[in-house]
Amino acid sequence: MFMRRVVPFAVALGGAAAITALIALIQAYAKVGGLSALYLLLVLWIGARWGRWPAVAASIAAFLLYDFFFVPPVGTFSVAGPSELLELFVLLVVALVTSQLASSLRRTQATAEAMASQSTALYELATAALRSPEAAMALSLVCERASIIEGVKRFAVTSPSGERLAGSALISDEAAQAARAYQTGVAVGVSVSGGTLKVVRTQPHRAAASYLPMVGGVTVIEFAETSPDAEDLRMLAALVGLAGLLLDRRRAAVEAERARGLEASDRLKAAILSSVSHELKSPIASLRAALTALASPEAGLAAEQQDLARDMDRQATRLDHMVGDMLALSRLEAGVELHREPLAYADMVGTALRQLRTELQGHEVVVDATDDLPPVEVDEMQVGRLLANLLENATEWATAGGGITIGARAHEDRLESWVENDGPPIPPADLDRIFDTFYTRRARGTGLGLAICKRVIEAHGGTIRAENMRRGPRFTFTLPLARVAAAPSA
Amino acid sequence: MSGGRVLVVDDEVEMQRALRAGLKYHGFDVRTAGSGEEALRESSSWRPDVVLLDLGLPGMDGFETLASMRPATRAAIIVVSVMPGEKDKVRALDAGADDYVVKPFGTEELVARIRAVLRRQADISSGEPVVRSGDLEIDLARRTVTVKGRPVRLTPTEYELLRYLALHAGKPVTHTTLLREVWGDYAIGDSYNTRYVVAQIRKKLGDDPANPRYIVSEPGVGYRLEP
Repeated sequence: MFMRRVVPFAVALGGAAAITALIALIQAYAKVGGLSALYLLLVLWIGARWGRWPAVAASIAAFLLYDFFFVPPVGTFSVAGPSELLELFVLLVVALVTSQLASSLRRTQATAEAMASQSTALYELATAALRSPEAAMALSLVCERASIIEGVKRFAVTSPSGERLAGSALISDEAAQAARAYQTGVAVGVSVSGGTLKVVRTQPHRAAASYLPMVGGVTVIEFAETSPDAEDLRMLAALVGLAGLLLDRRRAAVEAERARGLEASDRLKAAILSSVSHELKSPIASLRAALTALASPEAGLAAEQQDLARDMDRQATRLDHMVGDMLALSRLEAGVELHREPLAYADMVGTALRQLRTELQGHEVVVDATDDLPPVEVDEMQVGRLLANLLENATEWATAGGGITIGARAHEDRLESWVENDGPPIPPADLDRIFDTFYTRRARGTGLGLAICKRVIEAHGGTIRAENMRRGPRFTFTLPLARVAAAPSA
Repeated sequence: MSGGRVLVVDDEVEMQRALRAGLKYHGFDVRTAGSGEEALRESSSWRPDVVLLDLGLPGMDGFETLASMRPATRAAIIVVSVMPGEKDKVRALDAGADDYVVKPFGTEELVARIRAVLRRQADISSGEPVVRSGDLEIDLARRTVTVKGRPVRLTPTEYELLRYLALHAGKPVTHTTLLREVWGDYAIGDSYNTRYVVAQIRKKLGDDPANPRYIVSEPGVGYRLEP
């Protein structure tokens, strides 16, 4: 250190002396003017090599030596004429200016080199970090790099909950502090702005860590007594930025993992429900077969006993429908794949009416649809279930022997259809809740039928609503029309 | 007098007992089998008229039993299943089942189905060339179709489809079977073709798709001509 400081000045003084000797040597042979310019070369070189102060030393030395040996009166430090004075002055000014220029050039170059090496290091680190499949591994690379910076004692990255993901171990309540910083979003002891970090020391002598909350976690840094220099602070800011990027990536990966987990659990749920429904339906099947056998007159039971058997069979049938509805709803919620095809809507209505023949007996059903309805592009089974549910609901509410209307009209890209009955209006407060799962107006309802309708319509990208018309409640829904032009029009 | 012989194939003893009783009350002779192997033995020795075959059998499953039984018996086979997917129904029908019934069911519903397949078998063996469905008459010998006595002009494709449904009146016929039977083994197409032709036939017969009298849609499966 000492040598490095002394050498430039020694060279400056030695150089000035050597040039003085050279000038004396030249002047011994020929009277040449303006030889003082030789000093300029030295000053220029010293300034470029070692900066300002050695150059100033060289120029002063040159000035004094030149004055002493060559400026009349020779042998003294006095100056005779104004031309010599000017010469000396120029020497000094040139020395100062060139050394200034040279040293600023040197500083710029040094900064550029440092920045280049910094960005190369960062680039290599970022490449390595972003390539490593594990976010935690990539983060530990960043932490390693950050902790070798002078003025940084510890550097760690935590999850939003303060759990350490990479870097130095956390001590005492740092995990809790990090979690708090994440929750409040307020940095403690450090701030980032303009591409660099700023260390904020509130209590200079307390060794406390700084917390910097980011998108997917928190960076915890403990600085040494002396803060890192400006260059290192910039590097640190870049590393913190990289850590932020990696945390964000980790968060995205964690979310994707959770989504996969949810999807798997949805599938599992559907599989379990399918299996449970199967297990529930088998005993119901035996019950219904036995009860209907008992209820037949040939079984020889008294009329009262036959009625009891029929009552039990009705309850078993209800149970069967509930199990079926639960399964259908859970499948829809798990996101069943729709098997969409172009279908004639009137055909589907016909199938639904046929399916509910027994329930519809005693009701007057009107189909209000034109002959030239374009085909819809829907899942036959799902929309069949929807129609059956809405018609069944209508039979529950329509007056005895009353009318049920099922209508349809085509609009630009969708079919609007409705099922209406002449029963009592739906209380206005219930209009919004009527499609909620387990919401029912009937003492015996499962609260699943209309929820299933809503899911079916939504799966087809349509809408469904309930409203009270003059005659009675009406359910209106939309279905997508088929994109094919030439389709069956029955 | 016996209404016919019914072989019940189901692995649940309670179901066997309930069906044996229920079908007996409706005049059928009933035997039961708890497995596919037993069902095959019974069907060849006892020669039932109808086999009720549950698809969910342990060991040799329903589809295997169906495949082995179909070529060896003239009995009508009604497939029974808890929550069959549409694919299962189509597969069973294409493998030669005459009908399917979804569990749980009541005895009356089952008896109606059994009587329907028995009636159909009797019609087919009688060799009657005219098939009737309400006002619709299809004369298979003379290749004519009339509604209330008025002739209906069908294209060859339309007639072939209607003829196939008439030959299997009352039985659900799958889209794939119709495609194969009407358009040939190398037919390329899907249910869209059959839907289109059925729509045309319905129009010509004056059948309302929202309330069909003759050709009934079997959702997810195909079509059936009402007997």
